[in-house]
Amino acid sequence: MSARYLIGVFGDEHDLLEATREARGQGYKIVDAYTPFAVHGLDEAMGLRPSKLPWVCFGLGLAGAVAKLWYQIWTSATSWPVNVGGKPLSSVPAFVPVTFEIMVLFAGVGTVLAFFIVSRLRPRKKKPDVLYEGVTNDRFVLVLEETDAAFDVERVRAMFQQHHLIHLEERVDSIPRSLDEEVQR
Amino acid sequence: MFERCNDKQRHLVKHQHHKPRHANVDSRFFGRKFTTSPSLERGLKASTIVGAAVFVIGLFIAPERAWPNALLAALYLLSISLAATAFLALLYVTNAGWASAIKRVPEALASTLPFGAFLMLLVLIGTPHLYEWSHSDVVAQDALLQRKTFWLNVPFFVLRSVIYLGLWVFFARKIVGNSQLVDRDGGDALREWKRKKTASAIFLVVFALTFTLASMDWIMSLQPHWYSTIFGIYNFAGMFLNGLAVITVLVILMKRWGPFEHILHGEHLHSLGKLIFAFSTFWMYIWFSQYLLIWYANIPEEVTYFVYREEGSWLVFTVVNVLFNWVIPFVALLPAWTKRHEGFLLRVCIIVMIGHWIDLFWMIMPPFMPNVPSVGIWELFPMLGVASAFIALTFRALARQNLVPLHDPFLSESLPLQT
Repeated sequence: MSARYLIGVFGDEHDLLEATREARGQGYKIVDAYTPFAVHGLDEAMGLRPSKLPWVCFGLGLAGAVAKLWYQIWTSATSWPVNVGGKPLSSVPAFVPVTFEIMVLFAGVGTVLAFFIVSRLRPRKKKPDVLYEGVTNDRFVLVLEETDAAFDVERVRAMFQQHHLIHLEERVDSIPRSLDEEVQR
Repeated sequence: MFERCNDKQRHLVKHQHHKPRHANVDSRFFGRKFTTSPSLERGLKASTIVGAAVFVIGLFIAPERAWPNALLAALYLLSISLAATAFLALLYVTNAGWASAIKRVPEALASTLPFGAFLMLLVLIGTPHLYEWSHSDVVAQDALLQRKTFWLNVPFFVLRSVIYLGLWVFFARKIVGNSQLVDRDGGDALREWKRKKTASAIFLVVFALTFTLASMDWIMSLQPHWYSTIFGIYNFAGMFLNGLAVITVLVILMKRWGPFEHILHGEHLHSLGKLIFAFSTFWMYIWFSQYLLIWYANIPEEVTYFVYREEGSWLVFTVVNVLFNWVIPFVALLPAWTKRHEGFLLRVCIIVMIGHWIDLFWMIMPPFMPNVPSVGIWELFPMLGVASAFIALTFRALARQNLVPLHDPFLSESLPLQT
């Protein structure tokens, strides 16, 4: 299916934020926004739902803590009991530091990996095309989908120009692969 | 040395045409002042007088409870002002702009520092009632205390206390002092800001050293045989956590009562909530670090501290201490929305404030009530009395000027804060 996209380029994160807010407010379909760095508040402006990653983080942290605590109790009290300084075999205070560290490790590393999986960033993945030159440097790009024939490019141009639009272009089906995936989902 | 700040300044100037979000805020809201009601002032005055009267009666009827409790009350209030000063100093040295809109609140608390210092000086009168090392007959019988007399003797103790308090009051003035002037005159805010940054950097070093020593002198030496090298940072964690909770409570009240309406939004609360969450966990981390090493080594002089606090009803205090300072704030503030929810955050802060009182009670009282902890009229009334006086002074400091620092260099960064 051929789809038409409109690419608006801005020079500043404030402009992008305002343009995104306005485009969303007027009911345009926002495909995605591309920025050289994480722009605070952009998720809210785009109307994205809250991320589910915190739950992944929580679950992994809990799993790591429980597994490590159990492992320590098992090794020191069940599998190979050793008397250390006359303390009870299963001395929980002594197990806390390791439990804590493993919890942090599981939660931290696991969340990063989960993020990679969700964003489909995997080794040997085809290098994505750069949507617009400068988007990795100092340009902020907002991509709208032209949903129907009534889509008026000039109206969008006028709207974006209030937010210091630098460049506007239409693309038909020449959207990068990464973007394609986004759209199909 | 100040290139960063100049960069930031240039950035702000460069982006002035961009109309940050506060351009939509009616400028009327910037000039709102906070006013206390006469009935509130009267109530606070009455409660102060009642508290002071109960304390004076307590000095004669139950001095063994009145003096430790006076120490507790003085430390509690002193530490709020001190935490607010440290908070401001951290904002200055880290070039933080996010809190500019609400910085009048920690400034008001920091300007109340002389009151806490005055209370602490009064408590020093009770040295013979509080510290067993101040009695020469006790020291004569005690080999360990004899070794410690070079540090733990009354003249040097009083001198040190006066030096700590003097330094803190001096730096609090440096850091808070002229910021009101900047608003009144509309003078060069950036120059003033740099001067405060220098004072803050020096203060943070001085504060780290003096606060460690002060917590050892005033609290640790209540059980002079016991020692813990982590004690200073443990006290810092608790006092800073409590300071953040008090700042947050006042900020929320200032929103509910008007002056911060349309100024304060969820992002500011979120940032404060994150700090409370982090310092609560930090407190627990330090609490456990202290416990773990003492538990592991099992040396008689060291374990007595926890033996006192794990026996009988003291165990209840130990558990409640950990619950109020860490378990409840941690679980409650784990999701993002609770940190942004005004009423929710307010309740968590009040729990933390009670928790810090319990923490100090837990540190100070066991030598005086080794068997059963008791909280009664001698504990509650004097605490309410000095707290009322503290609240009245803080409210007066808040009412003195515009609650939004109009000429702060970073105000335009703080108002549209996004995290």
